[in-house]
Amino acid sequence: MRLSIRESYAGKHVLLTGASGFLGKVWLTQMLHNDSGTGKFYILLRRKATRPAAARFERIVNTSPCFKPLHEKHGRDLARFLSERIEVVDGDISLPGLGLDPETSARLGRDIDLVVNCAGLVDFDPDLRDALTTNVDGTIHVADFVEGCEKAALLHISTCYVAGTRNGRNGEVLVPDYAPNGEAFDAAAELASARVRIAEIEAEFETQEKADEITAEAKAQLVKRGRSPDNAKLVATLVRRIKRDTLKNAMIEEGQERAQRWGWTNIYTYSKSLAESVLAPRTERLRFSLLRPAIVESALAYPFPGWNQGFNTCGPLSYMLGGWLRELPLRKGIPFDIVPVDYVGNGMTIAGAALLNGQHEQVYQCGTSDKNPLAIDRACDLTALAHRKHLRRKGDTVVDRLILARWDGVEAEIDHTLSVPNLRKVTKGVAKVMRDLPSRWPKMVHRGAKKVADKVDKIDDNLDTIERLIDLYLPFIYENHFIFSTDNLLKYDVVEEAFRFDPTALDWRTYWINVHIPGLRKWCYPLFEGRTPEQYRPRHKFVLDGENAPAETPAAAPAHGGSR
Amino acid sequence: MNTPKRAAFFRAEGVLVSRGVLAATAYYAANAHKFGERALRLGLVALSAPLQGLLGQNDRTLANRLAFLAARRMSEDRLAELGEEYAEDILKDKILDRGVELIKRARAEGHRIVLLSDNISEVMEPLLPHLPKIDDLVCNRLEIVDGEATGKLLDPVVGSHGDGRWAQGYADRQGIDLRACTAYGSHGTDLLLLAAVGKPCAVNPDFTLRRSAREADWPVIEYQE
Repeated sequence: MRLSIRESYAGKHVLLTGASGFLGKVWLTQMLHNDSGTGKFYILLRRKATRPAAARFERIVNTSPCFKPLHEKHGRDLARFLSERIEVVDGDISLPGLGLDPETSARLGRDIDLVVNCAGLVDFDPDLRDALTTNVDGTIHVADFVEGCEKAALLHISTCYVAGTRNGRNGEVLVPDYAPNGEAFDAAAELASARVRIAEIEAEFETQEKADEITAEAKAQLVKRGRSPDNAKLVATLVRRIKRDTLKNAMIEEGQERAQRWGWTNIYTYSKSLAESVLAPRTERLRFSLLRPAIVESALAYPFPGWNQGFNTCGPLSYMLGGWLRELPLRKGIPFDIVPVDYVGNGMTIAGAALLNGQHEQVYQCGTSDKNPLAIDRACDLTALAHRKHLRRKGDTVVDRLILARWDGVEAEIDHTLSVPNLRKVTKGVAKVMRDLPSRWPKMVHRGAKKVADKVDKIDDNLDTIERLIDLYLPFIYENHFIFSTDNLLKYDVVEEAFRFDPTALDWRTYWINVHIPGLRKWCYPLFEGRTPEQYRPRHKFVLDGENAPAETPAAAPAHGGSR
Repeated sequence: MNTPKRAAFFRAEGVLVSRGVLAATAYYAANAHKFGERALRLGLVALSAPLQGLLGQNDRTLANRLAFLAARRMSEDRLAELGEEYAEDILKDKILDRGVELIKRARAEGHRIVLLSDNISEVMEPLLPHLPKIDDLVCNRLEIVDGEATGKLLDPVVGSHGDGRWAQGYADRQGIDLRACTAYGSHGTDLLLLAAVGKPCAVNPDFTLRRSAREADWPVIEYQE
């Protein structure tokens, strides 16, 4: 089916949510850079404390490497170029009416042709309240807004992994009230039940019994740290922190239980699937498509090869394989559905164009497992080769260059001898032996043993983090065999080459070794090490002008919702 | 400009680079994915080493086949990456300056340059940027099935007596007169190749080739790294 992107978007106005996120930014700049012909982009951003949306947008444009191609293309003229094509709107998807003022809401309602909802909380296991607020309520608010528009259609970004723990080929269909375990499921009832449970948990944390328990815990911690448990101020501070953390953990636990009960891999996929289910009954009155990307990773070409942002799926796994962890539980042959972010950007563009033309499908999946699969064991081998390439030449130490570079990470079974749980048994054993030395032994020996035990404890803490990370990823690297059909995106014969989506064109070796892992090393690994990735400083600073300029007096605003 | 109707055939091993196939297979073996694999593969290379010595004077088909068995079940990705690494880090430094001069001279004389190598394409192709322009590279290719090497070299195996026949076919296809061509060989295997051209030359010859070159009154060039 022929599809011209430029003809489809010509003069059309688009409202984008989640423009501060990885995918949102790439898509927006891709559209601008490749001259999509779009009339105007309305960027919905929420204020952050003292910073209004427009100032946030300015900061994004001036600091994100994603805007580098636009800076380089337009130089000093970028402000004029963007001001003609972009209007930044103060709003918040977690609020009814998107938190828009009535005048803006009415104006957008008249003008907008397409709403692209890219906003979402992408952490695997976030606080259940946040997940529902951003991923479910946010979707409801966006859908309500689109329904109120005169002519707008909605492109909602979901994820392929709403399929849950369902093995095999997953088609491009929207199943109302879907649950992966096949049991009868009512999304509205589940949502209501989750909210009731959230309220109950919150109420539990307000009881006197819980308050006493937390206070006792705070005092015990202070004693352990050698501080006075009678210092009321210290106790109060610690109580607040413990309460916040334990409440969050309780919410995560509740979310995980709910997700697993119905067959989802984590809270993220559970909440994204709930969002799809709340959209499903609106098919009669709302023109919408779902775009489900698989695992969105480093750009192949746009904005530049290797661009990545924040914590992602591959980052921690590949980072672990670049260190001393050598045995990662992986099941040979499982497709690891990685898709470069610029591919997903093009997928969004195509799906949006189809919506504008009325040639759309209900669901588009955007991945590689169907047409050009990458097996997880191959990804592991490629990761080892990429680390090898880097460490041999640029390893920080001789150990890196001579040993780590030649000691490849390999796939292993979960119960492998050198598995993390087994290593933890050793660390715990060593720590115990060091602490339980006979008291008659000299003090010097005890002091030495204590130092060893403390070091081993630190190693055990690191292993604990790794173990939890591996548990988080097991559904994708060991337990399930997912293939996501991508026929719907591929049915379009896109006229403009720059906007095509062709997963078969991806050369995994080149991408992985020369683009993806170096990209992660530059943009993501520093975050794991508590460092700041390289900052981008454009030659000419971008300043919004005209009505887009940030307000003089910033106002405080609610803070909720995230972006992809 | 018309395409030159003359060609110069160069055997890579011994003429242009001072490392043979075994060094490459040993590198692959020593850098396999897992430690256990490395030991097994290195064992295979060690076993094939005496055969290289024994058979290398004559037809090296069997010796090459045995040597590359060490790459069996190695991923295509690893073959390519290690090949590039080996070419860049090791083989590049083993390029013989005199061999490079011979290529330049042949080019200046209007010859088309053809490089024959017992090594596999994964090793030889990354080496090309470090050599003077080569018009045709003829080297061995490993059979790849489902992204892994089977350990089998695809026919025709370079490094056999068939190289002479191959040169004849090549000349026919390119419209080249072999009598006007030059060939530089270094092993007994190259005898038929050298015999097929008008201007044969033995470079750093092994025992078999040295004896034959003397009998045929072919020029012999000696040089080292």
